Amino acid sequence: MNLPIEAIWQGLMNGLALGWIYVLMALGLTLIFGIMHIMQFAHGETYMLGAYVVYYLTASLGLSLLAAMALSMVVMAAVGLVLERLLFRPLKMDWASAVVGATGLTLILQSGSVVMFGLYHRNIPLLAQGPFNILGTVVPKDRIAAVVAAVVLSLALYLFLKLTEYGQAMVASAQNPEGAILQGISPNRMSALSMAIGCALAAAGGTLAGSLFNLSPYMGLVPLVKGITIIVLGGMGSLPGAFIAGMTLGLIDGLVPILFGAAWASIGPLLLVIGILVIKPQGFFGHAE
Amino acid sequence: MQNKSSLASSVGWALAVVLAIVFPLALSSIYWTSVLTKIIIYVLMAVSLRTIYLVGEFSLGHVGFMCVGAYTSALLTLKAGLPLALTLPVGGLLAGFTAFSLGYPFMRVKGIYFVILTVLTSESFRQLALNWKSLTGGIDGLIGFPGAGALSLPGIGQVDFGGPNEYYYLTLSVVCVSLYLLHRIEKSRLGFIWLAIRETDKMAGAVGINVLRYKVINFSVACFFAGIGGALLAHSEQALSAMEGASFGIMTTIYLLVYMVVGGRMRFEGPIVGTVVLSLVSEFTRPVEEYQPMIIGAIAIAVVMILPDGLSIIPEKIGLWRFKSLIAKSKTDLDPKTQEGL
Amino acid sequence: MAAVIDLDMVVDQGQIFGLIGPNGAGKSTVLNMVGGTLRPSQGKIIFRGKEITKLSSHKRAEQGIGRVFQENLLFTSFTVLQNLLVGCHLQSPISLASIFRKTSSYRSREEALMKNALDTLKFVGLSDYFCEMAINLPHGRQRLLALAVALAIQPQLLLLDEPVTGMNAEEVALMVTMIKALREKKGITCVVVEHNMKAVMGLCDRIVVLNFGKRIAEGSPQAIVENKAVIEAYLGTDEDVTSN
Repeated sequence: MNLPIEAIWQGLMNGLALGWIYVLMALGLTLIFGIMHIMQFAHGETYMLGAYVVYYLTASLGLSLLAAMALSMVVMAAVGLVLERLLFRPLKMDWASAVVGATGLTLILQSGSVVMFGLYHRNIPLLAQGPFNILGTVVPKDRIAAVVAAVVLSLALYLFLKLTEYGQAMVASAQNPEGAILQGISPNRMSALSMAIGCALAAAGGTLAGSLFNLSPYMGLVPLVKGITIIVLGGMGSLPGAFIAGMTLGLIDGLVPILFGAAWASIGPLLLVIGILVIKPQGFFGHAE
Repeated sequence: MQNKSSLASSVGWALAVVLAIVFPLALSSIYWTSVLTKIIIYVLMAVSLRTIYLVGEFSLGHVGFMCVGAYTSALLTLKAGLPLALTLPVGGLLAGFTAFSLGYPFMRVKGIYFVILTVLTSESFRQLALNWKSLTGGIDGLIGFPGAGALSLPGIGQVDFGGPNEYYYLTLSVVCVSLYLLHRIEKSRLGFIWLAIRETDKMAGAVGINVLRYKVINFSVACFFAGIGGALLAHSEQALSAMEGASFGIMTTIYLLVYMVVGGRMRFEGPIVGTVVLSLVSEFTRPVEEYQPMIIGAIAIAVVMILPDGLSIIPEKIGLWRFKSLIAKSKTDLDPKTQEGL
Repeated sequence: MAAVIDLDMVVDQGQIFGLIGPNGAGKSTVLNMVGGTLRPSQGKIIFRGKEITKLSSHKRAEQGIGRVFQENLLFTSFTVLQNLLVGCHLQSPISLASIFRKTSSYRSREEALMKNALDTLKFVGLSDYFCEMAINLPHGRQRLLALAVALAIQPQLLLLDEPVTGMNAEEVALMVTMIKALREKKGITCVVVEHNMKAVMGLCDRIVVLNFGKRIAEGSPQAIVENKAVIEAYLGTDEDVTSN
């Protein structure tokens, strides 16, 4: 392999940034699944809408990227609350209906955004311009900034779950739903909170990805599949699992195209997950039902 | 009551078949004939998707097996010059065989994990077709492989099935036979065992049912028909593409699921009703094409929230309502041998 | 942390064998291991001279081991008769041709199946309910139905996990009579896990007592009642071992 070191380094950087963006997706998905026992198949659209909200905030109101991202997270959290109340709460009982509800939602949101925003790609302000010079190699600032932002958000989530009352209630709810109810924790409130947080994280992910690359109404599909891949690899409801699996997947995604070609890059992760599910039908860190 | 409903359903079936035969002649437009052809194919897809549900699982990977059947049949006609009459079943058999080989490890995975597994599997098949340039033409896809050829039918003489009308009737025949087979299987003891497994596979195992084996059979049968559907689709357009937005992508998967659920998971007719109704909705909303997915999505959500058993339940609900008003006047006498499932 | 440790248990043919102990003692685990829904990490299970440790649960059913589960598993959307017909599965394997054409041999097998189902229903006294939905039956009758389904496979060994839990005195007496009749009329060996001491004492020939996964006593009902270790294990729980 006579690939220039720059190409590999670039692949690594892309992989790192993408990996952490996918982790944000996975964290939201796993939170929602852990508490509501629903796979939020429309999460990719939340990601996409988060990016478009930022587009409008920066383009029309001239807000800075960071301010717009914060606002977008709040907006999408509110959207999440509405979706939970109107769509997912009534469907919680039957996971099959929830799958259909989520896919119906995907259709609506995706075609809605095509109608509203059009098919062509849009851009939002960059996270950062130019490169760092570290030890002689050139490192793009924006990739690093994206990683930092994602890490900060993930850490914030981790601390929230560990240290705050609501966070601990969520963990309890996920691990032992009946026990949590007996302790007076309202399952509806937990569901609402998990949707809100999940959507906020997805919005952040979409913003970061939109800033690094660009926006399109279909941008949510791939991150959704990646997010699902990550939580199967890392285990449903496991946060550390999501981190590890996310990093792994990101690195694979960044390096495999460079080393082995695009074809393997698209099939590789799928085959990996299929293999894992087959060896352990409950998922990597899952328990037997 | 039993006899009344089976009479009603027989009439319903007969009517549907008559309509299906008459429509292309009445509409007399190539465009509509090709639309109807597609609808009929998707009916088969939706019904075979529901077959998997009989055993308690949801597959979102049906398009993957369509893909296998489609490419197999197309390539065999193109590269080996075999007639459609041969390549169609071979396409189905290869799809079914693929499902069978994957079956034993796959059917041990359950619930939402199985859904995810099937999505990833069909995506893998599609990516394989997209990237295996030497076999499938890669991104360019396959174009111009033969459609149905001519066949000499007894009493009618030579019929060229290449034309749109003729191909429609060919498709209709194949699908009708397939639906008949699926229906027979569902009503047989095999179907009964599948339903028992869906209820509780732990208990089924405890009475000696080899749950895994029956689930694999189920998966293989369903995917066999998916392969047939894929092959029919391939030769109707004589062009195949594995691109994201074409027939074997996530959108088709979503639409099939929606067709099945909106029509109704509980009844055999459900997916048929769902496919026909929603396909017609899609057709009539062509002027506002961009809103199409939105409309379908909204209908899906509405059905799942208001009428979770689907549209096909409606006649029964109306009948039940009428029946309840009669129940005060007459006694019902149920003969054990006419119970469903026996 | 093992659920069951060092258990050496022998059940003779024709016995009604009791397995008791405080909650969490590992009784259901033992049944699950014999029935095939759990694999032991160590040790062997031998049934009628044959080692069955590696067999899956459906193969054990084929060998003649029937089960009544603690969770009262039933095919809830089916009628009582249909539940039985599933149970009769082993008597008539599916042939491909039968899907399309009912041959006369198929028909006669189906008739034999139906007869077996109806006879079993008669044995447990549920004949009148054959077209009721299983889910509509009251709890006591549901337990009887679960027993009937287990009987439909014509087992030699029946594993009953808390067969009388949740029943009133009348239903308990009925179930106890039923289980005794299984031995008398059909020669079926039974292993019963139960908390209801009255039922256990009146039913079992031999009892093993488990506590924290280990066997602490074994013997006739009378010996168990007087056993110091057993009394100690139950002290502090609501169960009165000495009641008769």
